[in-house]
Amino acid sequence: MALLRVIPRKATPSVFMQQVARLHNIERDKIGNREVVGWGINGMYSYVDHIAFPMPAIRFKENSPEIMALKEREKGDWKKLSVEDKKALYRASFCQTYSEMRAPDGRWKSITGWVLFGISCSFWIYIWEKLFVYPPMPDTITNIEKRQAQLKRMIDIRVDPIDGLSSKWDYENNRWKK
Amino acid sequence: MMRLFSQRMQTAVRGSLTAVNRNMQPAAATGAARFMSHEVQETDEEFDARYVAYFSRPDIDGWEVRKGMNNLIGMDLVPDPKIIIAALRACRRLNDYSLTTRFLEAVKMRAETNKDIYPYVLQEIKPVLEELGISTPEELGYDKPELALKSVFDVHG
Repeated sequence: MALLRVIPRKATPSVFMQQVARLHNIERDKIGNREVVGWGINGMYSYVDHIAFPMPAIRFKENSPEIMALKEREKGDWKKLSVEDKKALYRASFCQTYSEMRAPDGRWKSITGWVLFGISCSFWIYIWEKLFVYPPMPDTITNIEKRQAQLKRMIDIRVDPIDGLSSKWDYENNRWKK
Repeated sequence: MMRLFSQRMQTAVRGSLTAVNRNMQPAAATGAARFMSHEVQETDEEFDARYVAYFSRPDIDGWEVRKGMNNLIGMDLVPDPKIIIAALRACRRLNDYSLTTRFLEAVKMRAETNKDIYPYVLQEIKPVLEELGISTPEELGYDKPELALKSVFDVHG
């Protein structure tokens, strides 16, 4: 139902206004009997609860006879409205109060659970890799005599003589420094 | 003084807001003209005066009140009690009660940075609340959540 033409004829103001009118009619069908009260976020007839954007474009509830009767009383003295009336008026215009918008919803529990599950899956995958994918370690790592020979060579060529390995070796007495 | 905790940003939305030109947003006062950036620097008093004048306009309509409130709450500041009072009186002229409660909740949200701000604001606007018969959100029980929203996963069965 492409009501907005892809290739418009000459875009005169009246063509534009027709398209605006069509868009507003589509919007109005979506919202039913609700009163449009403001610009909203982007000019569309939307309702959004957001703490930094208190007044949406439409009232939340459709206009029913009870609400219309309440609105008549709203025109008079507000001191005569009871607490229930005031709450009913609020709920007619808005869906959630600020406390409800910001109330904790416990999503962190499922998020934490799934994250930990994902991490443990990766651990299992690593175990499978170690068992079935990686070849055995070379003997330069598994054979202790070869590793000691490598360490001796590192000390002989003075690796890290200032703060590292060779600085901990006592060359005078051929042993580790105490 | 309520803007000690803020960075000020000019209301950026000017120009036509709908097909009918609703360019009634308070235009920035021309303060000192020697700054390089486009932003017009205005003092706190000028800002307050601008918004008080905006809300105090006798023929203001619901559209403009809501736009003003949305812009004001979108800014990183707590509105001065003068502005809040002007906005509440505008709601009274419009015969719209729910706007007052929503606006007070929004102000309370903005005042969270320092726990002394909201009690101060309430104290300053108390005469107007009593005069117009407006209950604070606490008196209506809206400082705690009252209703819960159905989870989106349960909506379509």
